[in-house]
Amino acid sequence: MPTPILVCDDSAMARKMLIKALPSSWNVEITQAANGLEALEAYRAGKAEVMFLDLTMPELDGYGVLETLQKEGLNSFVIVVSADIQPLAQERVKQLGAIAFVKKPVNPADVEGLLRQYGVEL
Amino acid sequence: MSQTLTSDQKDALQEVTNIAMGQAASTLATILSTFVTISVPRINIPEVSEIGSAISKMVGNGKEVTAVRQSFAGHLRGEAIIIYGQEGCRDLADLMGYDEDIDQSAERELLLDIANVLIGACLNGIADILQTGLTFAPPSIMAERVIINSLIDPTQLTWNNALLVEVNFTLEARNFSCHLVTLMPEDSIERLKQAIDTFMENF
Amino acid sequence: MSASLRDFIVDEVGVGLFAVDRQMNLLLWNRYMANHSGRTADQVLGHNLFEVFPELPRKWLEKKIQSVFILKNFAFTSWEQRPWLFQFDHNRPITGGIDYMQQNCTFMPMKGENGEVETVCVVLFDVTDAAIYQRMLKDAMRRVEEASNRDGLTGIFNRRYIEHALTTEIKRVKRYGGSLALTLFDLDHFKKVNDTYGHLGGDEVLKEVSQRVAANLRETDILGRYGGEEFMIIMPATDQEQAYQVAERLRELVAAEPVIFGEINIPATTSMGLTLQADHHESAADLIHEADLALYYSKRNGRNLVTCYDPAVHKEI
Repeated sequence: MPTPILVCDDSAMARKMLIKALPSSWNVEITQAANGLEALEAYRAGKAEVMFLDLTMPELDGYGVLETLQKEGLNSFVIVVSADIQPLAQERVKQLGAIAFVKKPVNPADVEGLLRQYGVEL
Repeated sequence: MSQTLTSDQKDALQEVTNIAMGQAASTLATILSTFVTISVPRINIPEVSEIGSAISKMVGNGKEVTAVRQSFAGHLRGEAIIIYGQEGCRDLADLMGYDEDIDQSAERELLLDIANVLIGACLNGIADILQTGLTFAPPSIMAERVIINSLIDPTQLTWNNALLVEVNFTLEARNFSCHLVTLMPEDSIERLKQAIDTFMENF
Repeated sequence: MSASLRDFIVDEVGVGLFAVDRQMNLLLWNRYMANHSGRTADQVLGHNLFEVFPELPRKWLEKKIQSVFILKNFAFTSWEQRPWLFQFDHNRPITGGIDYMQQNCTFMPMKGENGEVETVCVVLFDVTDAAIYQRMLKDAMRRVEEASNRDGLTGIFNRRYIEHALTTEIKRVKRYGGSLALTLFDLDHFKKVNDTYGHLGGDEVLKEVSQRVAANLRETDILGRYGGEEFMIIMPATDQEQAYQVAERLRELVAAEPVIFGEINIPATTSMGLTLQADHHESAADLIHEADLALYYSKRNGRNLVTCYDPAVHKEI
């Protein structure tokens, strides 16, 4: 059965770039969200076993999504994808429960390595 | 020739700029030893008659500002302007570790340096996707403590379009924000659009 | 390009060129730098820049060069903020006022194969001539302004002119007779306006009040800016009652509507003092002094008032 994953970024271009960087052998069903509210909706509908999350977005940003997820029990692997690579930003999202941080522009090898590290079957 | 961007082009340019500014944020953070966030909420290409009002609207009508300009040349050519609000200048000096009251020269130097870094980061990031390089002339103070509405005189503009990039630049808890405006002649904007199209085709 | 041609250009290009590595050790020192510093390349190459030149502003310069290593971006300095990097003599010994060669510098990152900056190359331009011209231009502008009769901000007559005009009017009355009134007025709480709305707000009030008053004077009245927020109106062939009526009308006119500054309304009022030329006045200063005293009483009695000078009431403070 394909893994339901969610790609959340306000930029369609960024979503496209990320989806292209995912390992082709990974059996997934992709849902896209353009802001944090849409992401939470998809998460609640069970479409986000793995979530790729941008930080700066309108409506509800990545930090807000992580906070809500924490309150709701955090039943998702969240990988933050951001151009902001300052150590403090990485630390903040990890404290909020994200498992990893991937910098933009996304490098396919980084994503694959990360998924393997967490035992995802590719 | 219409210079408006399609929504796809706008989105791609915004993302590319975001990535460039994100990298700038992390390098700036190293230099300033403070947490920096930079976001690019809006990108727009207004016509010459609307440049002045678009800038005033972006910055806030009637606001007192100081502006730094810097020209660039290469595959893309034009002039970039960083617009600072007055409160921001003082906060920035404070954070940059000028404990004592900074004199006017030190303040100007600071504003020039920050403008140079932001303009370089943004435009080099864009140039990177074009796989080209840009050369920059030294920045200079364009206007000090003027009302935003009088910053740009549209009758003096020889080029037809401007690329307006709103950059919110925040240092730690302080909301220091500034705005970046890039003025480019038509042929450069056309090249930029072509480059974005090529970039998008690769994805 | 041959290496010898490159070397030739580096040495003879007519600007200073030097380069440092991450440890601030000098890797390049062209002839221009050698000639001006008195240190040859042989003496400095391989040595730490700040050890060879301890007089350099180390803290600042190190930060500047480090930023180029980290940001991988060009950086610049301008003589207008920092007149020189190296204390080099300039070649304009007969031009006074400028102590050392004025310099603009460009800091260029040179990347190695791994994409990291390994060397920062600095270009030093002698801009002493430009600095001198700029200074001359500023001096000339100041002289032009001084020579002009107009106040730069408000466009009405300036102090120099209005004092001269007052002296002329007094002489005329002394010789030919007739009356002459003088009104001084001042913007109330102007410092507070500046503090609240900024200097631009204050400037707008000065401009707007000047315009309103100027537009409502009689043809022969002369208006000038006497000081920061102090104005003077010379009223030839005017007796006290007429002068009072004019002043009162102007005061009401200013107070009637606020000054519009962007989207803000700034209320403005004036305090006025007036006096008449009399035989006992020796000079313009005597007349101004009486008007000033009357103005002081307007302030003291609540502001937004016109006071006519009365020697029996308005005593020295």
